[in-house]
Amino acid sequence: MQTFIDLLFGNTLTRLVFFPALACLPLLFFPKGRDGAVKLYALAVSLLELAFTVAFLATNLNADGTYTAEHVTRLRETLPWIPSFGIRYDLVLDGISMPLAVLGVFLVPIVFLGSWKGIDKHWPAFAAAMLLLTTGVLGSLFAWDLFLFYIFWEVMLIPMYLIIGIWGGERRIYAAVKFFLFTMAGSLLMLVGILWMAWSLKDLNGGVWSFAYEDMLRLQFPLREQIWLFGAFALAFAVKVPMFPVHTWLPDAHVEAPTGGSVILAGILLKLGTYGFLRFALPFFPNASEIAQPLLVALAVIGILYGALVSWVQEDMKKLVAYSSIAHLGFVMLGLLAFEQVAWEGSLLQMVNHGLSTGALFLLVGMLYDRRHTKKFAEFGGLAKVIPVFAFFLVFSTLASVGLPALNGFAGEFLILAGSYKTLPVPAVLATFGVVLAAIYLLKMLQLTLFGPITKDENRKLADLSLREIAALVPLCVFMLWIGLQPETFLRPSREALNTTLSRFQQATTRPDVEQVTLSNTEAGR
Amino acid sequence: MSRADLISLYPEIILCGTGILLLLLEAAAPKLRRAFTGLAILGVLAAARSAWVVWAHAPEPWLTFGGLLELTNATYALTLIVLLATGLCLLASQSYLRRENILGGEYHALLLWCACGLLLMLRATELLTIFVSLELFSLALYSLAAFHRRLAIATEGAIKYFLMGAFVSAFILYGIALLFGATGSTRLVDVVQALGLMPDVPITATLGLLLLVAGFGFKMSLVPFHAWSPDTYQGAPSPFVGFLSVAPKVASAMVLYRILDAVVVGAPTMAVKWSGVVAALAVLSMLVGNLLALAQRDIKRMLAYSGIAHMGYLLLAFVTLDPQRPSLSPAIVYLLAYTLMNAGAFTVITLLYNRPGEQHLIDDLAGWGYRHPLLGACLAVCMLSLGGIPPTAGFIGKYVVFLNAVGDGLLGLAILGVLASLLGVFYYLRVIYVLYMKAEARQPEGLLIDIWGRAAAVVAALGTLVLGLWPSGILQWLIEKTAAR
Repeated sequence: MQTFIDLLFGNTLTRLVFFPALACLPLLFFPKGRDGAVKLYALAVSLLELAFTVAFLATNLNADGTYTAEHVTRLRETLPWIPSFGIRYDLVLDGISMPLAVLGVFLVPIVFLGSWKGIDKHWPAFAAAMLLLTTGVLGSLFAWDLFLFYIFWEVMLIPMYLIIGIWGGERRIYAAVKFFLFTMAGSLLMLVGILWMAWSLKDLNGGVWSFAYEDMLRLQFPLREQIWLFGAFALAFAVKVPMFPVHTWLPDAHVEAPTGGSVILAGILLKLGTYGFLRFALPFFPNASEIAQPLLVALAVIGILYGALVSWVQEDMKKLVAYSSIAHLGFVMLGLLAFEQVAWEGSLLQMVNHGLSTGALFLLVGMLYDRRHTKKFAEFGGLAKVIPVFAFFLVFSTLASVGLPALNGFAGEFLILAGSYKTLPVPAVLATFGVVLAAIYLLKMLQLTLFGPITKDENRKLADLSLREIAALVPLCVFMLWIGLQPETFLRPSREALNTTLSRFQQATTRPDVEQVTLSNTEAGR
Repeated sequence: MSRADLISLYPEIILCGTGILLLLLEAAAPKLRRAFTGLAILGVLAAARSAWVVWAHAPEPWLTFGGLLELTNATYALTLIVLLATGLCLLASQSYLRRENILGGEYHALLLWCACGLLLMLRATELLTIFVSLELFSLALYSLAAFHRRLAIATEGAIKYFLMGAFVSAFILYGIALLFGATGSTRLVDVVQALGLMPDVPITATLGLLLLVAGFGFKMSLVPFHAWSPDTYQGAPSPFVGFLSVAPKVASAMVLYRILDAVVVGAPTMAVKWSGVVAALAVLSMLVGNLLALAQRDIKRMLAYSGIAHMGYLLLAFVTLDPQRPSLSPAIVYLLAYTLMNAGAFTVITLLYNRPGEQHLIDDLAGWGYRHPLLGACLAVCMLSLGGIPPTAGFIGKYVVFLNAVGDGLLGLAILGVLASLLGVFYYLRVIYVLYMKAEARQPEGLLIDIWGRAAAVVAALGTLVLGLWPSGILQWLIEKTAAR
């Protein structure tokens, strides 16, 4: 019989999840004041983790880049964990979690490179928090047991709280606590929802406990219950996305977080909210999702327009990027709520795109901040002449974020708008204005910082990007271009999983409403 | 009294004997004082070992002294929890007693006798036996609360505790008398069965039961019987508070369970009303405890209020006692988690604060997470666990309790519970914020951080994590062994 230790030392998901956490242990033994060694160690660990991920995909992806249900079943790693409640240690990688997991692992070394100078104290603790966060993120993405998912979901909170609270800006405590309480409030209600589902399942399942995803998926609740449960799940995920009006923690968290924290927050943590909708909230409660669709679509469109408008009036680069995240995630939500294959593919792609381009923007803002200790537009102007390499990367990432064709943002937004136009024409048209607004505020940022005359003398002697900083940005830009030119490569592994989820969803919505909780017999695997 | 009766008392006899031995040593060989903690811990270990031996050979349930004492799997588990709390308290006490120069055998002896009374009460099924064991441990608690006799605040807290405790003892005794008057028995099961057979439950009997619940609610510091706990916690020796905030609550919870369980089995008609009473106590404790804890700046007072809230969560397990469902196992899991995390927190407080007469401001810990990495980490783990954040024991405890509440159809109470615990997260996080995110404000001076104290903190924090990550063994054992009625 396979044990946890066997899994840990194989080419497995378990290794991917727990290697970063275990790699924290040596950090306890680094002598004080040897931050240089700690940085190198952290970078090495994150690169090794990336190598493990690549190795896992290289051995398991089909030659043509597809990833099928057969893989999902074969690569499942499952062990009993708390048998009294039927709780299993159960990890699965499918087409939906794959791009996000890869993105998460990919961003960690970049975060370490980008934090080299910006983080000036307690490096071992920073590295440990970042690595534990990686474990939490990957665990939440792979968990196929709802209890396990909840554990990983909560485990993500503490490291992020520490990252914002220890290394953040002036109002860091406020931001950290707000982040924690908002997220926790949502997820505690989800916990009650999970418990409710577990009881229903147990009663129907002959008194046998189970928290397994596919078993939960077979539950069919009457509409009233569905709406309550959907509410509990949707709130937890909407806070994380964040959707209007529970987005208020995000600008605070982003502005106060250190650069690395912002990158990882925008890059991957927010995606777990949209992932939660796609994986749990929508498939579990299809009828309730349909009923809630107009409301959620409205909130998504409000998020797009509101985020864009608020970005427009910002005088601080980081705040601008932070609010633009709300708008971008609004697009992702719109795509998901269209319940349409093309839109879903676009949403999934856009989750990755946003991680890349916004991650790059946060890094660039951080690099500027390291040099000038300010993020205000008024302090800059004409930087393109002084630091051309920086200007190149800023222009490149901004254009990707705007959605210039041939860069990644265009591919994602186009698919989302094209797909959702079929089912949600009016919101899609409204959302298109968001694209226009994005061009306005992002180009305004370029104009105010890079172009025009140099107004401040301090800016005349700025040093251009170092090799380390370039090394952090180049991989991001390579992928922005690659996804822009050849989105198909990145869509292919996810297509089947999205298709299965969508067709199951559409099937479920046509079923008649039930009087009582029932367990559907259809083989509802992945 | 048969030989079997005597055997069933082995753990108590060992604890009692060790206490007497320590007291004699204190008189005869005061030079050995430094070894008292070790001796007392040996006594606790021996008691735990004998409890295990007795349990392993006993039938389930094992009635001794003609049914006055009942040994079950559940009481065995709770016995071990009480002994764990005693052991952790002894470990943490050494440095406090040495630092304050009040090291003496009386402290250890009183603590062991207190544990002895608690173990008796866990197993008592008869009201007078319960009362006698209650008095045994309460008197020890009062004296221990005042143990730092040069300290005005300690005396004040202890007097308050003693006065209220004396009232409560009178309440309980009066309740017993009323029940005896109404039913002619002092055996809990007989009392309730007699009540179940009556067409109308006499008002005196209801009053008697209410007085009993109030009395044990006081010992568990449930709202509205909680007023003593913040003052007492503040004045009493910190390591002892780690014990006071845990062990008496464990034993009182068991008695409360016995009373409610007897009602459910013996007089089902009354059960509905009683579950309403318990639900009210639970909600009040959760909300009031958490709200008042929010406002505290003194870490001991904060933990006092947080303890009130935790007993509220625990009571959720007792609201609906369905004979088909194991209600005791969630409570035991919760109590184990609570013991580990609370005792751990108080151990760190003992070691890091050196002026027992003054306030223990949370802000005094500013930046100390880096100065004392090990103790800081232990305190942080305990705080996260108290806040119910996975992967810690506190989360597992909350999970089983809330799971049961949802299964009993108490969705509203469960939602109230999670919202209350959100309030809790706020103030537990503040400790972590102070530890790691504030600039250091105070130089450590006069601290005595010894190996015993460190051991207690590490055992508690590690235990919290281990129970959070691998709860399966304990959960399975409890669910299998305590489900049967």
